[in-house]
Amino acid sequence: MRRPSDQVGILSKIFPETKDIPSDVTAPNFVPNIEALTATNPDLVIQWGGRGNDIVAPITNAGLNAMLILYGTEQLTRDYMTMTSKAIGKPERIKELVEWRDRVQKDIEAKAKAIPQDKKPTTLYIARALTEIATTGTKGSYNAWYMELVGGRNASAELNGTVTINKEQIAQWDPEIIFLNAFEARLNVDWVYNDPILSLTKAARNKRVYKMPLGGYRWDPPNQESPLAWMWTANVTQPDVFKYDLRAEMKTAYKTLYNYDITDADIDGILWMKEQSGSANYAQFKAK
Amino acid sequence: MIGLEGATVRFGSRIIIEALSFSVPVGRTLAILGPNGRGKTTTLKAMLGFQQLDAGRRVAPDIVGYVPQTGTSNQRYRALDVVVMGRAAHLGIFGQPGPEDFRIARSALERAGAARFTDHYFDRLSGGERQLVLLARAIATGSQVLVLDEPAAALDLHNQERLLTLLNTLRHPRDKAIVFTTHDPNHALSSADDALLMMPDGQPPLFGPVAETITPEHLESLYGVPMRVVELAGPSGETHRAVLPAFAGIRAA
Amino acid sequence: MAALTEDEAAPMVRSHLARQALVFAALLALFAVAFVVSLCVGRFSVPASRALELIWLGVTDPWRELTTIEERIVLLVRAPRVVLAALAGAGLALSGAALQGVFRNPLVSPDILGISQGAAFGGALGIMLGIWGFPLIAMVFISGMAAVILVGLIARVNGRSETITVILSGLVVSSMFSAVVSLLQFVADPNTSLPAIVYWLMGSFATATWERTLIAAPGLIIGGVLLWMLRFRLNILSLDEAEAQSLGARTNRERWLVFGLIAVIVGSQVAVSGIIGWIGIVIPHASRLLVGHDHRALLPASVVLGAGFMVIIDTLARTATAAEIPLGVITALVGAPIFAMLLRNHYRERNGS
Repeated sequence: MRRPSDQVGILSKIFPETKDIPSDVTAPNFVPNIEALTATNPDLVIQWGGRGNDIVAPITNAGLNAMLILYGTEQLTRDYMTMTSKAIGKPERIKELVEWRDRVQKDIEAKAKAIPQDKKPTTLYIARALTEIATTGTKGSYNAWYMELVGGRNASAELNGTVTINKEQIAQWDPEIIFLNAFEARLNVDWVYNDPILSLTKAARNKRVYKMPLGGYRWDPPNQESPLAWMWTANVTQPDVFKYDLRAEMKTAYKTLYNYDITDADIDGILWMKEQSGSANYAQFKAK
Repeated sequence: MIGLEGATVRFGSRIIIEALSFSVPVGRTLAILGPNGRGKTTTLKAMLGFQQLDAGRRVAPDIVGYVPQTGTSNQRYRALDVVVMGRAAHLGIFGQPGPEDFRIARSALERAGAARFTDHYFDRLSGGERQLVLLARAIATGSQVLVLDEPAAALDLHNQERLLTLLNTLRHPRDKAIVFTTHDPNHALSSADDALLMMPDGQPPLFGPVAETITPEHLESLYGVPMRVVELAGPSGETHRAVLPAFAGIRAA
Repeated sequence: MAALTEDEAAPMVRSHLARQALVFAALLALFAVAFVVSLCVGRFSVPASRALELIWLGVTDPWRELTTIEERIVLLVRAPRVVLAALAGAGLALSGAALQGVFRNPLVSPDILGISQGAAFGGALGIMLGIWGFPLIAMVFISGMAAVILVGLIARVNGRSETITVILSGLVVSSMFSAVVSLLQFVADPNTSLPAIVYWLMGSFATATWERTLIAAPGLIIGGVLLWMLRFRLNILSLDEAEAQSLGARTNRERWLVFGLIAVIVGSQVAVSGIIGWIGIVIPHASRLLVGHDHRALLPASVVLGAGFMVIIDTLARTATAAEIPLGVITALVGAPIFAMLLRNHYRERNGS
């Protein structure tokens, strides 16, 4: 009954069978339902590491193979991707993916180094918007990490973890760019433009409000498509410095990652071209 | 006027009162007599309408001035505010007491001899003092009927005397029907016109004027203790009757 | 004799009234100060003089177009939030005071009737089904009422309901609804509806807008005014069953009227600001110590103190740190020690007398 998310994104188009992956094998607190889990007859169970042995022991006790992953930083992402490729018996696949991540990261770092501090816009990532407004501090945040990687400054750096804030606080920070999460299906840039307070922020007045794309996964958290997310973020944050041809990069990446020939219409959907083509510096992503 | 007509109350298979009939017209006072467990309280509740009858009916006005034994004291109200609650029935559910209601409450406090407690907190008063305030509240309802639940039970002899005097003061204008329950037949002799004796062993209760009902034979079977009724001369030469129990098997001379 | 008594009583009455007047003046002043200060402080810095000027403009010319960020912060963010906090605090305190009266028990709070948990169920279900805005609020309200009706049906034996049966039925219905809420959390989408449900269950005014305030206001105000009109009747209902009946109260029916009004108030509050604990128990207690138990004074005192207290708590919640502090955390941190102090004073005074 529980689905992994409200939106499935393009992954279900590339791999239609992903829609049928059962997600009732754990409770929200990641406690495995061993019977349901065993019934799917898994060769490997990937479970969260660093959350205690209680959520792991049932899996190993049931005689299943468990792999624990840690999450949150770029290095950990590469580590668990590498582990996964080994575990599924395709270690040869991982090298090019990690190299791609490394290459893009280094390229961005090199270009961003030249950006003087006063040319770095303040950026705010809105992790939740619709029932409450939540954003995240810099420490331990992947979003803050890549926003700063591309030459932005996290407006909400003073926070500790992902916490609830109010609009008045956003007005006080007055960010120059606002990124909206891709988790909330109903959230789009109008949420900012129609709000009496947020519409007066620098970001809104300069039309620099963007909803994170939804590709093979949401681009906000670390995932297999992260280099695309960084390039997208780089292009909108520092349009004078970064001029990645995102469409070309996406076509290559989707071929490599999924062996899928992505269409222009797919890309338009992933980048919300229809919803936010009016945003500043977004015309660069239009199909040529 | 207040009373019961053929009232029966059962708790399960146990009959508490059966086919009980009596009435107290305005101007008369009834004492309900008997030891504990004979249905005194049930009879009182039935008269007040708190006890559902299995048969028979209750005759009573809409509002009966009821004086409970102790009264709620977990809330801190001033005595005056307790007494003005007597006006509730006249005010309706959303009504608020006005100056006239407070005037009535003050005069009721005076009539009950409790004027000195007007601004005291009710929960700080002694048992006997509270009873006077509750009596004032019953008077303030404006009902022609007053029902008192064991008014003398918690009082020492001195305060019993004061209470009986007060009851007689209230009885004297003959403008109310008054009912009270008590263990002590002397209270009935002193302050009641009629008595209702809750007899044992399923015998029907005896109801009638005090002179006919408070007799040594009736009292002996009522309490299971031999009783003597003696006549005493009052200060101005009139005779008073008094009841003496003969404890330890010794019959009083 | 009568004249003598009058003379003796007169100064006492006057001192009683003078004391009440003084207490009410102090409470109103506290509320007014809290209200204005709250409008002047926040994470966005608006100079106090400018904020006061804006409040004045907002009051004298409410339909003026607001263009600057300062105006919008003060009049569109802070003002509805402060008004909603005041209304919710007043409603919760009033409900608590009335409920403690009819239950003759100073330890009951509006949660006891299952209203909060019932309302929480409606809210969690609504969020899960992707319902937002007014329909969500309506759902919360209806399920809160449904909980009270359910308590009524369970507690009603032989045509009447004993106090203890009502309390126990309330507990049963509360646990039932909180179990269903847990179940909803279990099946909720961990990325979207689950955090929303969790946040909403914790209680907050962070999302207050004039629209939400206006949605909650009718229930809070109508329920509150009707309860206030019942203030003398609540004195009667606070007496033992038999006494109250002898004074002409149809206790069973009238008690349910009070419960219904409380459901309207608490349902409206939960619908827009989630579950907020402690106010309904701490404020009536403090008010009782200040003005006594008579509901004619207790209810208005609870309203003013509840409104002021809630405004202060919420101001702390939104200004102390860049992050919003959950209201429940502050109400418990502030409420529990105050409550402990009140209890000690209360019993010391009792034993001392």
